Amino acid sequence: MRKNIAGCLVVLCMGALVAGGCAKKDMVKPEEAAPSVTAPAPETAKPAQEAPTQKAPVTEQTPVREPVVAQEPVRESSKAPSGDLQGQLQKIYFNFDSSDLSEESRNILTKNAEYLSRQQSLKIRIEGNCDERGSDDYNMALGERRAKAAKDYLVNLGISSERISIISYGEEKPVDAGHDEAAWAKNRRDEFVVAK
Amino acid sequence: MITRILLLLLILLMGPQGFAAESYLDVTAPTSGKMKLAIAPTTALSGTVAGDARELPELFGFDLGIAGPFEIAPTEAGGTLLLKSAYGVQGDTAILECRLVDQVLNREVIAKRYSGRLKDLRRMGHAFSDEVLRVLTGEKGPFTGKIAYVSKASGNKEIFIMDYDGRNPQRLTNNGSINLYPDFAPSGKEIIYTSYKKGNPDLYRRELFTGQEARVSARSGLNAMGVFSQDGNKIALVLSKDGNSEIYQMSRDGKELVRLTNNHAIDVSPAWSPDGSRIAFVSDRLGKPQLFVMDANGGNLRRLTTNGAYNVTPRWSPKGNRIVYARKEGGFQIYAINPDGTGDTQLTKVGSNEHPRYSPDGRFIVFSSTRDGGEGLYLMRADGSGQTRISPDRAQNTHPTWSVNW
Repeated sequence: MRKNIAGCLVVLCMGALVAGGCAKKDMVKPEEAAPSVTAPAPETAKPAQEAPTQKAPVTEQTPVREPVVAQEPVRESSKAPSGDLQGQLQKIYFNFDSSDLSEESRNILTKNAEYLSRQQSLKIRIEGNCDERGSDDYNMALGERRAKAAKDYLVNLGISSERISIISYGEEKPVDAGHDEAAWAKNRRDEFVVAK
Repeated sequence: MITRILLLLLILLMGPQGFAAESYLDVTAPTSGKMKLAIAPTTALSGTVAGDARELPELFGFDLGIAGPFEIAPTEAGGTLLLKSAYGVQGDTAILECRLVDQVLNREVIAKRYSGRLKDLRRMGHAFSDEVLRVLTGEKGPFTGKIAYVSKASGNKEIFIMDYDGRNPQRLTNNGSINLYPDFAPSGKEIIYTSYKKGNPDLYRRELFTGQEARVSARSGLNAMGVFSQDGNKIALVLSKDGNSEIYQMSRDGKELVRLTNNHAIDVSPAWSPDGSRIAFVSDRLGKPQLFVMDANGGNLRRLTTNGAYNVTPRWSPKGNRIVYARKEGGFQIYAINPDGTGDTQLTKVGSNEHPRYSPDGRFIVFSSTRDGGEGLYLMRADGSGQTRISPDRAQNTHPTWSVNW
């Protein structure tokens, strides 16, 4: 199927070029291209506009190369190595269109920092997320700002920035698919994922 | 009015090609002074009319009805203009003959003959619709262009492509991750998009005909919202490699990086002016997201929107005279504004409407809307009239972008 699509695309493109090239010559000229309504229209009197083509065989031989990278799995939070390790790192939550850390969030971050201090070999990835209400373009940057706010706080508490990477999923990875404040509040969050 | 039309049709028929461009229908005000267009059932060049060809009158009615200058007449006799089509098959080749007839003057205005593979029948029909607009308005229609979009039809967000009217949806990406922000190269032969398929949101450029792909920007952090300049040589995008989201431009292969914004605020959603001299974008540097315009080198910054507390996703019209965007007021509504900040106009009212983009000819705006439940794809004329659903299915479909004619 994919091959057919690609073939079709190429053919249509070529056809478009041919058609475009013909179009200028095809302007309606009454003496040759506008036979009367009732008269049968002889083939030769019609401007020929070759749209698609018979050149299909060439394109059908062109395989579509699906990139190898497309087959690689995405790193998912669920693939974190250990439930126990993961369980010690708590999420933090945000207000709408805000990356400010609440007092509760700062307390959680302090606990996360203490845990990271005890587990010196651990590296983490902070994943910033948003609810669905904002612009998804804007939220992509807001999610990153949320992740960075948490990273900066942990670094200030003495955790090496080398151990912390950040990523934004914008509004693309909600934990609650609902469309109400309860769902939105759960989705405006940073997750702390143990990296390999 | 009739007299004027007849006179101008005479000019069209008699004059040299140049006259055709002297449009007598005002393209920029498509709802005024509509011409009555009748569409005859498709006839058979030989034998009987095959199933697919029976859909052609509906196709012409959809194309030319949404176009603006025409009112589709219910009967053949009711049209000043009559569109006739005849279909036949010779071996593997489909043949479509189309004519536009002035029924008052009893003259043919356009006659075209298309041939191609059987499955390209609808494309041939759209090509004639394009041609009807070219002859009658001086500017070709966009109906043989494709729309790329983001769909969750397969469960996660993948990039799809479809005919402009929602037919023939095809999946382009198949990597199971999150794929976002498709943008066509001006040639229509490539797209760029952002994918998480290798973990980080990186920017990819994909040749549509071969499927060949290059990862053109994989810098730390966001590599997102890439858009081609009108000459296809540059890409503006959002990078966060320096700690927060900023607007950059680079060459189409991801090199020659130039940073255009530099502050602690969020800067996203770049949009080129058609001449490549300016870039509109979104920034919350004054507190809430608003539209700004700067020169393409980052200089001469000024705020564009002053109404509304949350304005996002600007897109420049192909003629450069308007910028369409979405404003959050509860849900989102689509507005358009002049690049100098005047003429701010609301275009949508029903549901929540986002991701507006102009068609390549500027006649239409495609967008996503929740008005029928879920998020689906819609189009409207640039003045907001004729809002029509084009989504191919009930899946969540967003971020439509319309290519030049294929």
